[in-house]
Amino acid sequence: MQKINNKSVYSLLEVTDSIKATISNKYTGSYWIKAEMNKLNYYKLSGHCYPDLLEKKSGSIVVETKAIIYSSDFLSINQKFLSVLKEPIKDGINILFCANIIYTPKYGLQLQIIDIDPSYSLGELEREKSETLEKIKSEELYDRNKNLKLNLLPKRIAIISVETSKGYSDFIKIIKGSPNKYNFFCMLFPSSLEGDKAVGNIIWQLNRIKKISHHFDAVAIIRGGGGDIGLTTYNNYFLAKAIALFPIPVFTGIGHSTNETIAEMVAFKNAITPTDLANYLIKIFDDYKLPLDKAKELLVGYSYRLITSEKDNLKKLKYNFGISTRNIISRSSSNIESTVKFLKNNAKHFLKLEKDYYGINLSDLRKYSGRFIKNEFVNIEVAAKSIKKDSNGYMKNSKINLEQLTKDLRKEFKNLLSSNKNNVHLIIQSLTRTKDRFVTEKFKEIQNIEEKIDLLSPQSTLKRGFSMTILNGKILRDGKEVSDGDSIKTILFESEIQSTVNKSN
Amino acid sequence: MAEKTNYTEAFEELQTIVSEIENGEISLDILSEKVKRAAVLLRICKDKLTSTEEDVNKILEDLKVEDSDDESAF
Repeated sequence: MQKINNKSVYSLLEVTDSIKATISNKYTGSYWIKAEMNKLNYYKLSGHCYPDLLEKKSGSIVVETKAIIYSSDFLSINQKFLSVLKEPIKDGINILFCANIIYTPKYGLQLQIIDIDPSYSLGELEREKSETLEKIKSEELYDRNKNLKLNLLPKRIAIISVETSKGYSDFIKIIKGSPNKYNFFCMLFPSSLEGDKAVGNIIWQLNRIKKISHHFDAVAIIRGGGGDIGLTTYNNYFLAKAIALFPIPVFTGIGHSTNETIAEMVAFKNAITPTDLANYLIKIFDDYKLPLDKAKELLVGYSYRLITSEKDNLKKLKYNFGISTRNIISRSSSNIESTVKFLKNNAKHFLKLEKDYYGINLSDLRKYSGRFIKNEFVNIEVAAKSIKKDSNGYMKNSKINLEQLTKDLRKEFKNLLSSNKNNVHLIIQSLTRTKDRFVTEKFKEIQNIEEKIDLLSPQSTLKRGFSMTILNGKILRDGKEVSDGDSIKTILFESEIQSTVNKSN
Repeated sequence: MAEKTNYTEAFEELQTIVSEIENGEISLDILSEKVKRAAVLLRICKDKLTSTEEDVNKILEDLKVEDSDDESAF
């Protein structure tokens, strides 16, 4: 301390040293303090952290102070967090920490955090989570994505994951290696999945996908290999909201064994691991394919059975038809036979009746006709008598006329005859004369001819001593025609000689 | 979208035919017609199962357009 112008003047160091001494005297031990850790401010190089601590009242910050975690402390604290919270220590959580209150002239007042109770943070996280869940539910976001209609075959998947992560490769291996070759279309939208930047990163990719969501059937957020670490990301309200309001279904395959996160709760479908998610998708396709295969089988089988049974029916029908037809024919023919018999009998009977009837009539008819004939006969007799009488009268008259006519004719003829008698007689005389003369002349002519004929006849020649020689029925005119041994016939006037030629010239 | 509707409807129609067959509602008269229809539907559904859809390049192009829209908005 110096005296300058009657004033006691301290150097800065003297002041800070005094403060330091005062504080270290006052705050001798370490204290458990609760506060919100706004920023961890972890420095990779040194391994130290310089968290910003604050306290809010009615939403506004009332205290803000700096803290320090030395790297050795930080390592053990982080270890505890990982084992209890399944989560490394990170920004924005309420913590219960054990700190020394120190003052260094260079850095001022600092809380040197030597321990953080992870179970307090866990409870805080759980409380936060349930608050977020309540909020999601109260804003009617919880079922929003679940109520979307998933396309029957979701084969176009936008994947939010890390390309090098085990979860992503597990998922792709199963999806692409599906034995039925469904040809899933997967497109990766890379994003960190854990840590400070995960929420913002995932939401950013979701927003990108949203703009081209017509290319996809679903989004899959796939994380794997992280175990149960870093899940608070998925309890984040904004991420949960983004998922809930996403226009197409969002699947999660985040891969952990603890309680479901809010993101998983609001997702359309949560599969515990990426492998489960891949199998879920393949099952959708298998489930779709199964009825198709079944339908195909059924169609073929049913068609075959139906056709076979119809064929059988037809066969049966044909057989039955044959039998029925034969039955009908035989029944009909026996019916016809009996009908014919019946008709015959009836006809006979009828005919007999008719005959009897007509028989009676016939005798009546005979009687009537007899009587009629008799009557007619009498009539005819009467008519004949009258005709006779009439004709007699007529004949008598005719006879008289005829006799008269005859007499007249005779008389006439006699007159005519007597007038011509003389003429006739003269003619006859002349005719007779002419005739006689003609006859005589003709007779003489005939006599001459007869004489001539007599002279020329072979008989006359034969009579005169000539003969005719006959060889083989012909007159022989030349002796050269005759050979020895020929039989010849010599005809004389009144006889014949049969001779054999001895020698011919 | 039309195609999606097609295969979804095809699937439903096919299921209807199958249930008709299972309930014995299909007679020999319409069997051939139904089988023909079912075969077409089966083809549509199976095609969908194994088809490859979407082109990464096309999506990237769309995405580029969207992203640049975003940038211009700021």
